[in-house]
Amino acid sequence: MPNAVALKVLIVDDQNSMRKMTRMTLEEIGIRHIHEADSGRQAMETASLQPLDLIISDFNMPEMDGLGLLRAVRGHPVVRKIPFILLTGRGDRELVVKAAEAGVNNYLVKPFTPATLRQKIEQVIGKLS
Amino acid sequence: MVALDQLKRTFFDECSELLQQIEAGLTDIREGQSTDDTINAVFRGVHSVKGGAGMFGFDALVEFAHVFETVLDCIRRGSLAAEPDVVDVLLVASDLLSDLVQMSRSGETIAPGSVSECRKSLERLIEGDKVDDPTTAADSSAGLDGIDFTPVRAEAFDCSDGIRSYTITFRPKPEMLKKANEPLYIVRELRKLGELDLIAETDALPPLAELQCDHPYIGWTGTLRTTATSAQVEEVFEFVVGDCELEIKEPILAESEDTTESTAAPPRVIEHAIAAAAAPLPGGPPQNSTPSSTSSETAESASGARVPPAKPAATTTRIELERIDRVVNMVGELVISQAMLGQIVQDLPEGISGRLSQVLEEVVHHTRELKDSVMSMRAQPVGSVFQRMPRLVRELSTKTGKKIRLEMSGETTEVDRSIIERLGDPLTHIIRNAVDHGIESPAERLAVGKSDEGTIRLAAEHRGGRIVIEVSDDGAGINSERVLKKARERGLVNPDATLSEDEMNNLVFLPGFSTAETVSDISGRGVGMDVVRRNIQEIGGRIMLKSIRSRGMTIQLALPLTLAVMDGMVIKVGQDTYVMPLSAIIECLRPARSDISNLIGTSGMLQLRGDLVPLLHLSDLLDISSTEGESDESVVIITEAGEDSRFGLIVDELCGHQQVVIKSIEESYGAVPGIAAATILGNGRVAFILDVEKLWDLGASPSSGTARSVKRSSAAMAVPN
Repeated sequence: MPNAVALKVLIVDDQNSMRKMTRMTLEEIGIRHIHEADSGRQAMETASLQPLDLIISDFNMPEMDGLGLLRAVRGHPVVRKIPFILLTGRGDRELVVKAAEAGVNNYLVKPFTPATLRQKIEQVIGKLS
Repeated sequence: MVALDQLKRTFFDECSELLQQIEAGLTDIREGQSTDDTINAVFRGVHSVKGGAGMFGFDALVEFAHVFETVLDCIRRGSLAAEPDVVDVLLVASDLLSDLVQMSRSGETIAPGSVSECRKSLERLIEGDKVDDPTTAADSSAGLDGIDFTPVRAEAFDCSDGIRSYTITFRPKPEMLKKANEPLYIVRELRKLGELDLIAETDALPPLAELQCDHPYIGWTGTLRTTATSAQVEEVFEFVVGDCELEIKEPILAESEDTTESTAAPPRVIEHAIAAAAAPLPGGPPQNSTPSSTSSETAESASGARVPPAKPAATTTRIELERIDRVVNMVGELVISQAMLGQIVQDLPEGISGRLSQVLEEVVHHTRELKDSVMSMRAQPVGSVFQRMPRLVRELSTKTGKKIRLEMSGETTEVDRSIIERLGDPLTHIIRNAVDHGIESPAERLAVGKSDEGTIRLAAEHRGGRIVIEVSDDGAGINSERVLKKARERGLVNPDATLSEDEMNNLVFLPGFSTAETVSDISGRGVGMDVVRRNIQEIGGRIMLKSIRSRGMTIQLALPLTLAVMDGMVIKVGQDTYVMPLSAIIECLRPARSDISNLIGTSGMLQLRGDLVPLLHLSDLLDISSTEGESDESVVIITEAGEDSRFGLIVDELCGHQQVVIKSIEESYGAVPGIAAATILGNGRVAFILDVEKLWDLGASPSSGTARSVKRSSAAMAVPN
């Protein structure tokens, strides 16, 4: 069983308030190792510099969007296996399909509750202790 | 919930930026200057507002943003063309979105009907069928139901073979310290095995008074990523196994394919003690959880490849304005202290002061740089005020039926925040005036051979240590005869006076003047240009007006860059010290008696390089006794009150140039004519900063009662120091 406390999670969102919001929600389910990146480029840097157990990325970002980041991650020799959860707005079917093709592990529709977030994470990496 | 409130604030701050981007993008599209990216950026902006609003539960905002976004999506996909009338609807929608954000921010309830009209226009653009049913808008998962998606289990936690993650919980018990085992050494040993990431558990720390220094209160939880076997990890704890609470689990993911041999095995628990969590006092083992300290080794050990050093990630940071203001205030105080220091050093005997004044010179230099840097932190581009104007012009042109194009330039010109804040109202008023009185109706314009669309230009630039903002229009200009007639009717001008065109135009600045034949909804609500002028003067600015009949008019605002600190000339009259803004001084001189001619009805004229410059005695203006009297020692400061009005101010002594911190006195003493503000000098005394323009006015009407009130204030404000 993965230990929530030990889990290292990277939040990617260009909006500071949304990163903090996701961080708060993660903290609520006991996750304490949280990194933040405000762009896809910065996310790739952070991911290649330290081991991560999970990337939670927003889709809607300038330059490299969440899908672009997912593809970059999956194409990277070192970080390609990091589980990836994509945040989407409601009603974005096409995006979810594209993301599934690109190898996303799960998606999460904004706004979300701690319970949903936990459920989505557990679907990917197993039940959290 | 403080944290959430703070988050909301951050969100709304981001919203204003997003809304500006949205509006700027739409304006570009409207003017045909857009690229594919423009519509994407606008879409992203609206989407971000919607996403955030959803997280914070502003449902009405989400609902409207969603419809807005859907239209933008249609344009993005090419199923809807960005025709001007479509973009006009979008611009209205962006205005409304901005209103909704504002209402959500201030906690107003948004009436369900308030957006319906705009919403309908938006829905018409998408032919209705593509919009989600509004009732499902609040349902977060709407639209994704029934989608064929199975979450994918993580295949492996570790990115390269042979590296395992151990989860370690380590809480020393008091016995451990008694046996002279140092937790720090254990942590260091662990670090030697691989990448260690620990979080200290400080929950067991008692209040300081109850703290026993030989009792370990802190425990650690974390992960160790290493190629070492579990036996090797356990070995580290060999000597302390009984004296601590210890748990080593491996690996953290049961499903990991790379480490199949261990997946079936239950987590290896070496010992699970019930003792209270314990650890040495702060200052003990270092926590190894900062990404920067571990990152590079990790990446190399994990991949075997060299990773380029991390570039500095963020180049900007958000700071609360209050904090910057505190720094500004402190710098202000520093300027005062430094001036005091300077004073003391000056009074010291030569031998001691020499070296000291050298160092002080440095301090002065650094203080100035510090001041400039802090001020630049407070500076904001005027764009934040300009941004409101397109909407204003849009709304006004719809209301008046006039066609108006607004051109803006120099939006990035920076000026102090305090000035920005007080610029909005005057600028709004000037633009309202330009639309209402300046620009003619399309028919009128065509009749005089102009294009039916009027242009208003809003420009900002730095010019000689000030920021100059110009609003110009190509409308009818001021009808100076009408202005004069009005002014005479109201008794503002002597009926016999003959005025130049410029003088007539400037009558609009007189209090209680409004030229509009009919008081319209837009301008002319009794608040006239005199209020605008006062607003501008209050922030130390000047307003100038130029008008050419039927060609248009230009209003120019010249503003100081900051309101907090300024360069001043310290002067003395009698026993009193005053400060004059350096920016108002053209030159200082000690004229020969023969150069001063006394004309009847004036306090003298100075012959200066062929020109005659009127002179004023500062001592007369402020009703104080001058020690020098009419002696040859008097100094004349040539100064400028507004455009083309130079005069000389006679003072007793110049004490030197100094940076002064501006302290407003208006709150405590009201507006005192001739006095702009106060400051504290190096000797700890309060000195008044002179308002040169007002002094000139005072000179024109010598019987004002200012003088005494100034003196009283001066006495009341003496600072013990």
